[in-house]
Amino acid sequence: MDGIWIFAERQEQTLELLNPGRSLADMMGVKLAAFAADGGLAPEYIAHGADEVFVLPPLLPGQPLESYVAVLADEARKRTPGVFLIGATPRGKEIAARLAARLNTGLCSGCTGLHLRDGSNVLEMERLMFGGKAVQKVLCSARPQMATVLPGTFEPAVCLPDRKGVVVEVHSASSSEVRIVSRSARHREGADVTEAKIIVCVGRGVESEEHMERVRELARVVGGEIACTRPIAEECQWLPEEVYLGISGKRVKPDLYIGLGVSGQIQHVAGIRESKVIFAVNRDENAPIFDAADYGIVGDMCRVVPLLIDELGRLLKV
Amino acid sequence: MLNIITCFKWVIDEADIKADAATRKLLFGRAGYKISAYDRHAIEEAVRFQEQHGASVAAVTVAPPSAKKCLKDALSRGPDSACFVNDPSFLDLDPSQTSSILAAAVRGRIKFDLIICGEGSDDLYAQQVGPALAERLGIPCATCVSKLTYAEDEKHIIAERRLDDGMETVLVPLPALVSVLPGINTPRIPTLKEVLGAAKKEIFNVALEELGDIPGPYLKTVEVVAAAMDRRGIRFSADEEGVRSAVNALFKEGVLSQGVL
Repeated sequence: MDGIWIFAERQEQTLELLNPGRSLADMMGVKLAAFAADGGLAPEYIAHGADEVFVLPPLLPGQPLESYVAVLADEARKRTPGVFLIGATPRGKEIAARLAARLNTGLCSGCTGLHLRDGSNVLEMERLMFGGKAVQKVLCSARPQMATVLPGTFEPAVCLPDRKGVVVEVHSASSSEVRIVSRSARHREGADVTEAKIIVCVGRGVESEEHMERVRELARVVGGEIACTRPIAEECQWLPEEVYLGISGKRVKPDLYIGLGVSGQIQHVAGIRESKVIFAVNRDENAPIFDAADYGIVGDMCRVVPLLIDELGRLLKV
Repeated sequence: MLNIITCFKWVIDEADIKADAATRKLLFGRAGYKISAYDRHAIEEAVRFQEQHGASVAAVTVAPPSAKKCLKDALSRGPDSACFVNDPSFLDLDPSQTSSILAAAVRGRIKFDLIICGEGSDDLYAQQVGPALAERLGIPCATCVSKLTYAEDEKHIIAERRLDDGMETVLVPLPALVSVLPGINTPRIPTLKEVLGAAKKEIFNVALEELGDIPGPYLKTVEVVAAAMDRRGIRFSADEEGVRSAVNALFKEGVLSQGVL
């Protein structure tokens, strides 16, 4: 029972997971292995800390990524890893849940922190619960100890171009009764909110789409990106889904978060709690966002936002 | 006729949970319980199938006997019957136990073609029970479903999955399990007639002794504390002077700077 394993849907997530993976492998004195759907990525994964790269067989036409569950389960039974970390993307989460059920082990979902218990090979895994109101720490009694780790939780692993590693071809067959009929890629509008230094976030208190013009103006003045709460993306559909923040959406760490008409439901706050400074404008003085904010103004958006634009514009000379 | 199972969880209302700032202890006080919000969309989707395709819908939950009132709540939302898998030990279960208990309760006891689950639960939000249940029952599954269609007389469903890189439409042969996103529908609010009608619907109880061996738990919770939230909480007025002070405070924090553009 040893070895740290990593599987993620995309290359950048694999590089992130190799970072904690490498530290754990060194502390536990075991090997670090990463899965790659494309053998061409093996040298990069090795340079970023992998001792072994398992190259997965190509998927058949129409097979979804989840078809790898059978392959990963076969390999895990054969090679008995001690820890298995999986990138917490939508597909990654399904794969991990099904794999944990097949392997009869525990899975810490949406893990935000990993530590070894002193002098042991037992992982203490942190995650949020109660919509982000609480932090839960769990231990897994079976092996492998599994966790899905949210993208962006760790910095990518350090690259050492001279590192050596082994490439292993995996031959188990992928299988799936689910068949892909069609796919459409999402066109990203604007920049990635998780990279933004300043975020202007729109909540339900922004009552009509016409007010979005003002919001955009404020974002332009401060040089920020626009994000929103889940209902604004899903129900109102004023903004694309990839910019809603929260426990089920993007989790961000900007220098400044400006919440406009955001009530501050805990599920949303869970996605912004790492912000350096939180500033909120809301008409309701009892809105929970004020408990989560450094600075707040209780007032009507239509009045406050133009004043903010003027004042910020004057000082920033925009 | 299509037989549908919809799974739901009776959870503590997280909005009622308070925290002691000094000790970071959670205070549950008089916190109420509710059907997990994500699961209301699962129930609604099942009921939509009931209306459009004449499906029969059974709502299933795993809980301690004290959660009994969740049944009436669930039944008032439209399912034909409820299955209450209960035991005093069914408290703070880990997702592997919940999925094993559900699988044992459903297998050979409830006829189904389709199982509909929510995206996750309001309390744990582990998002595991749906796909893990599908594995334990040996049926295919699709998660993150934002649209579900079924052509009668065909033994499959078409599910549109909303993923982080786009949409994926999949064909899933029945019997199958799907977990649905909140955007899939708007759950109806039960009318008084529906609330009263719920009392007349059929409820099956399943006891621990009838389930056979349930493995796990595999996860042990060693600590739960309130998430730290040390914020200054300074307020300014909504007039010009207040806005000026607020903007000044942001400049002093060094999070705004001249010439950012």
